[in-house]
Amino acid sequence: MIETVKLSKIFKGKKAVDEIDLYIDEGESIGLLGPNGAGKSTTISMISTLLKPTSGDVKLNGKSTIKNPGEIRRILGVVPQEIALYEELTAYENLKFFGEIYHVKKNILEQRTQEVLEMVGLKKRQKELVKTFSGGMKRRVNIAAALLHQPKVLILDEPTVGIDPQSRNHILETVRKLNEEYGTTVLYTSHYMEEVEQLCKRVYIMDHGKVVAAGSKEELLSILSSEDMIQVTLSETSERVVEKVKAINNIRRVDVTDKSLRIISKKGSSILSDLVHAVESEAIHLTNFQMEKPSLEDVFLHITGRTLRD
Amino acid sequence: MFPLMKAQFKKDIRSPWLVILLTIGSILFTFIFTDLHEQTETTVPIFSSEPNSREVEEKWEPLLNANQDYDFVITDELEAQTDVEDGKSEAAIRLSESDYQIIAASNTQAVQLVEDYVHSVFTKEAQLQAASGTGNVDTTREKVNGYLEEAPFQMQTESIEGGEVPEYNMQLQLLFGFTLFLAMFTIGFKVNAVTSDKVSGVWDRMILSPVSKTGMYAGHLFYSFMIGFMQIVIVLAIFNYVMDYDLGHNFGMILTVAAVFTLSMVSLAMLFTGFIKTPEQFNMIFPSVMPIVPVISGVYMPPGLISHPVLSFVADLFPLVHAIEALMDIAIFDAGWLEITMPLVLMLLIGVICMGVGVNLIERRTK
Ligand SMILES: Nc1ncnc2c1ncn2[C@@H]1O[C@H](COP(=O)(O)OP(=O)(O)O)[C@@H](O)[C@H]1O
Ligand SMILES: [Mg+2]
Repeated sequence: MIETVKLSKIFKGKKAVDEIDLYIDEGESIGLLGPNGAGKSTTISMISTLLKPTSGDVKLNGKSTIKNPGEIRRILGVVPQEIALYEELTAYENLKFFGEIYHVKKNILEQRTQEVLEMVGLKKRQKELVKTFSGGMKRRVNIAAALLHQPKVLILDEPTVGIDPQSRNHILETVRKLNEEYGTTVLYTSHYMEEVEQLCKRVYIMDHGKVVAAGSKEELLSILSSEDMIQVTLSETSERVVEKVKAINNIRRVDVTDKSLRIISKKGSSILSDLVHAVESEAIHLTNFQMEKPSLEDVFLHITGRTLRD
Repeated sequence: MFPLMKAQFKKDIRSPWLVILLTIGSILFTFIFTDLHEQTETTVPIFSSEPNSREVEEKWEPLLNANQDYDFVITDELEAQTDVEDGKSEAAIRLSESDYQIIAASNTQAVQLVEDYVHSVFTKEAQLQAASGTGNVDTTREKVNGYLEEAPFQMQTESIEGGEVPEYNMQLQLLFGFTLFLAMFTIGFKVNAVTSDKVSGVWDRMILSPVSKTGMYAGHLFYSFMIGFMQIVIVLAIFNYVMDYDLGHNFGMILTVAAVFTLSMVSLAMLFTGFIKTPEQFNMIFPSVMPIVPVISGVYMPPGLISHPVLSFVADLFPLVHAIEALMDIAIFDAGWLEITMPLVLMLLIGVICMGVGVNLIERRTK
């Protein structure tokens, strides 16, 4: 349905988005995963026609949207990264306003307003001023404001940044429901891999303006099929023990956090006896040992050598 | 456009204090400064050294005080003399039955004016005295006054255009000046909502909605116009109808000028908006620049005092000077539409140019 072709944006000589190709089919839920500054928001702004690409194109059903943005705007609901509301108005008044500018018919606007308030769980507090809301509640109103006109495609830009777990779960549940029960196509942007893992069937991973990996969750995880991940906890750590562990044959990477080591090794290689030996030679005990399932975070780490939150 | 205006209105209803404060401010300022003007009445101590001093003083006091420019106060002789010596009073007057003596520290122009006035009172009284002979002076005075009111010859000063030569009214100019000046702030702060919307992201949401760009601008600008105009109308109506100030022959024309001024100010605020990035910036810059406008426009002074060509050129770039000119022409000189066409056209011109440049700057900024 929506497709980008070599989509690029250059800000003052800096490539914020670099020849991105992605597609979204009707009814899909797509994740756009990447660390801060990867170019996610810029990509979304171009898809939603708020920003003109430096080069490349955004197509809706094969037709370019750049010259004629009206059509794609009609089917989009965009939840911006920042809280784009009138904070001096109540949640209800905000939604009424956005419903009106979206030409939602007068006779159904009230009902729609109550529906979306119900959906984001703010029905009871609709008469309160948005500026008195917590960050999480504001984010929920921010989402609700994009739902009034029942968009076919919902684009969310990091809708869960900096909020309490309860609001976060509510938002994730709302998006899941919209996709699974109402058939809304979803493009979900985040730098939290758990959210994308949980919500999206297909994921694009971005870094430095480029798509570095794409595919279904399983496809992406299979990138890691040649590796094992082991988490060990030690009684204490020292630089020397870390060096010794790194020196072990078939161990590819070691990350230290506090007293635990995260070890990535070649799949099926038996490193255990070497590991125990290395640790005990430093008079340190191994207090916990665990094989871990790899996540998209590990995929990102594998591809870029950095964690998503670096 | 209407949902946008409705939303702005709901915001303002919650915090209407700025507009209310500025409205009250206009009235208060005019009041305070008008009062100061009235306090210029000069006090002149009077006393008599005659044996029947009380009688003499009481005879002249009401006659002298028939004029409003001076306040003649019966004072003890010694006190009056020290007042003059200390400079508290320009002059004092020693009264006798049918003569007077001016006591002054120096012969200034003010003393001369008092002297002239007192002289005219005494001369008139002497004439009345002579005319009534042995009869009652007061009866003669009444007769003369009655006669003067229906005199067969009436003297009138006429201007070239045939009307009365009116006195320039500084109070009125200050009234108009403060009213428009404070409305400039209201208008500016309302137009600033455009920048707020841009920064908050509401603007982008509106762009994605079916509302047109024109509708978005029109909503904000028309709303700013309405609030600004309403403030001016309320203040002027209070002065005209409640406090009985004489705002001239045609209140409708006054309001038309106010409307054109408001329009032009909305545009000027848009021009400012084109140069700034955040609403906070606007709130810093706009209120620091605007107070200069009435000063260089000569609102606080009688007309003709600003002769510096650069200053008056700069003042001409702002709508205020043209609005005041038109308002004063209507209120004092009973000007008709033809006579105020020029200031109206100039204000509209400022409006069109500022709006064009302003909107272009804003649109270019967003790319
Ligand atoms: N308007 C802009 N002007 C200049 N640089 C920008 C602008 N918007 C974004 N950038 C830069 O482009 C890059 C990508 O930004 P963004 O798309 O916001 O990333 P993300 O949403 O993934 O965090 C960043 O380096 C950012 O600094
Ligand atoms: Mg972003």
